[in-house]
Amino acid sequence: MSIVEVDRLCKDYPSFHLKDVSFTIEKGRIAGFIGRNGAGKTTTIKSMLNLVHPSGGAVRYFGLPLKENEAEIKRRIGYSTGTVNYYPKKKLKDLAAVTRTFYPNWDEAAYREYLNLFALDENKAPAELSEGMKVKCNLAMALSHKAEVLILDEPTSGLDPFSRDELLDLFVMLKERGVAILFSTHITSDLEKCADDIIYIRNGQIILASDTDTFRRELGEESETLEQTMLRLERSARNV
Amino acid sequence: MSEMLKKELKLSASALSYLFIAFALMTMIPGYPILMGAFFVCFGIFQSVQRCRENNDLVYSALLPVAKRDVVRAKYAFAVLIQACGFLIMAILTLLRMTVLVDATLYRTNALMNANFVFLGFVLLEFGCFNLIFLGGFFKTAYYFGKPFVIFLIVFFVILAIAEALHHFPGLEAVNAFGFTEMPLQLAFLAGGAVAFVVMTVCSQAGAIRSFEKIDL
Repeated sequence: MSIVEVDRLCKDYPSFHLKDVSFTIEKGRIAGFIGRNGAGKTTTIKSMLNLVHPSGGAVRYFGLPLKENEAEIKRRIGYSTGTVNYYPKKKLKDLAAVTRTFYPNWDEAAYREYLNLFALDENKAPAELSEGMKVKCNLAMALSHKAEVLILDEPTSGLDPFSRDELLDLFVMLKERGVAILFSTHITSDLEKCADDIIYIRNGQIILASDTDTFRRELGEESETLEQTMLRLERSARNV
Repeated sequence: MSEMLKKELKLSASALSYLFIAFALMTMIPGYPILMGAFFVCFGIFQSVQRCRENNDLVYSALLPVAKRDVVRAKYAFAVLIQACGFLIMAILTLLRMTVLVDATLYRTNALMNANFVFLGFVLLEFGCFNLIFLGGFFKTAYYFGKPFVIFLIVFFVILAIAEALHHFPGLEAVNAFGFTEMPLQLAFLAGGAVAFVVMTVCSQAGAIRSFEKIDL
């Protein structure tokens, strides 16, 4: 059984439609969610977290429907929707003090470790952090409660190359512990480094959701990098 | 749910929500429309809603491991808790005016509303209106609160005017009873206020939960 199942998810906005988005995420695998800006990555991820009310379809975690088991599921997953954009003037330690009370599995040692790894000063408030540091702050919170699944919206966006590399190494380490990871990105080199599966979305529709080898075989051309494949596909789509 | 309420109290609440509970002391001011105390208690809660929006609190709350409906329930629980604190002070002071100070000239010569159970009934009615109009209105968008607050203001002052004028109408002098006289009438107003408060708050919360489920954050 897949650990996360997204089944025919739809969302209608006046000028954008998410159409029958379906894919699964398996335990101990990293899935990269790629697509251009505005392709529907964030809408899909927000729907997977019940931040956006889908027009149709279903999301299941651990075989349980999200709608009816929202609190239990959210305790078992970690998620980060970009940067910390709440309570800009509150110190990180105050935010963490409240956040940790919601997680019975909160691992204080791991939290300290991530603060250290990301060089975060918990006496600072989000307003005092750069965009990259805000992303790290969100990640530290998401990673500190022994989540079985991580859903991360553009976690590498705004990070310097060194931090990005460290984060991707961390993903690999978590994967080896059995954690399933879905992360959206438009930086294809992130996928080259650690993704086992690729979910490619364009104009609100999934073009292909498969393991990386199948993706290369079906959509790539000989000796093409993922970036070249993506650029070619997007260009050809634009020219249609 | 208790964790969410603690979060409201520790993180989301504006200090003014707590400070403005002290306006319940207005119950003791002679020659003053004492229902204004209820307005300031509500205005304190308004400050927390404003702070919540400024700090993107609803997104933070919805990301916590709670059902989306619990985010709404926590906001209502917080509002009711602040109102309960204000009401408790008003009730204690009203009892003081109904017993120890029942014959105080200062209050006996007061042309405005007297502090009695009728007053407490109106306080509950005003609190219920705040929950129904302002909180319910805010959760329709989870963002805009100007219009619901203006509507609440109008309704609040219409009710205040009615409450203040009522005992001046012939035959309704008993509404302004002193001490424990006219008890059936006083208790009827209090019970009516309590029922209105519960019905308005419960209906408003149910509607807010429905609205919030459909809102895209």
